[in-house]
Amino acid sequence: MKLRELFTPESVTLSLEAESKDEILKELIQLLELDEKSEAILFKTLKRRENLGSTGIGKGIAIPHCRSLVVEELRLAYARKPGGVDFNAIDDEPVFNFFLIVAPPLEVSNQYLPVLGKVAQFAKDPEVPGLLAGLDDAEGFLSLLEERAP
Amino acid sequence: MLSTEIEEGSQLMNPELMTLMELQDLRAQHRALSGGESESVEVEQFNIDPTVAAARLEEVIAELEGRLSPPVLKRYRQIAPNRERVVVPVIHGVCYGCFVSIPTATAGDQDVHNQVRTCQSCGSFIYVAS
Repeated sequence: MKLRELFTPESVTLSLEAESKDEILKELIQLLELDEKSEAILFKTLKRRENLGSTGIGKGIAIPHCRSLVVEELRLAYARKPGGVDFNAIDDEPVFNFFLIVAPPLEVSNQYLPVLGKVAQFAKDPEVPGLLAGLDDAEGFLSLLEERAP
Repeated sequence: MLSTEIEEGSQLMNPELMTLMELQDLRAQHRALSGGESESVEVEQFNIDPTVAAARLEEVIAELEGRLSPPVLKRYRQIAPNRERVVVPVIHGVCYGCFVSIPTATAGDQDVHNQVRTCQSCGSFIYVAS
């Protein structure tokens, strides 16, 4: 499955307002449009995953991810934080681009790991951070995925 | 929804049921890190030491289990070793652990989030999905 097919314009924002790691996670979660209880549970699960080691993989990219029963299918979101934020990334540099991946505990199609790998591969393309920084709208992000993550 | 409401959302559900849902997610993480499917991804992409991470998860799991009342903990320990999902949603009156309809009185109970309940058919802890 193409990454493009897993995102919708509603699951993309280019103007995160949060200034801290926790607030970033909360804003990301809101892109999935879950109910309040599910948001609360997912936040705790993502926090616990971050406590095992930051999902900031360097070069301004973070990929918070987990399995959680609050979703019934694989859900993804993308958010850009102009100016960047400290996310305890492995290179200690600010993070500008966040890819949220949440999969159900059991997944018939077993897409979670391939998708996680595809997102990491896309994000590590040396040209991608610059291209993400130049985006004007969500449609531009989806077009970039179409082009760079076939 | 304002971000602060995410924390308030946790007040909408019985704390024990919330803990059970957290436990389930943590057990999924633990399975993935303990020689499971995503261990290599976590090591290669995120520099996670799977042994250390699994040990940390076990600590948190033990701490959360300690918050459960004795009867709930007993039920949890009965069913957790044998299935990957100990907490399942009830959607349109059907338990998604066994796909058997649950009594209408339970499925439609507005107070269902304030009580820890189990499916009479499969024994899974249940919650009514929104």
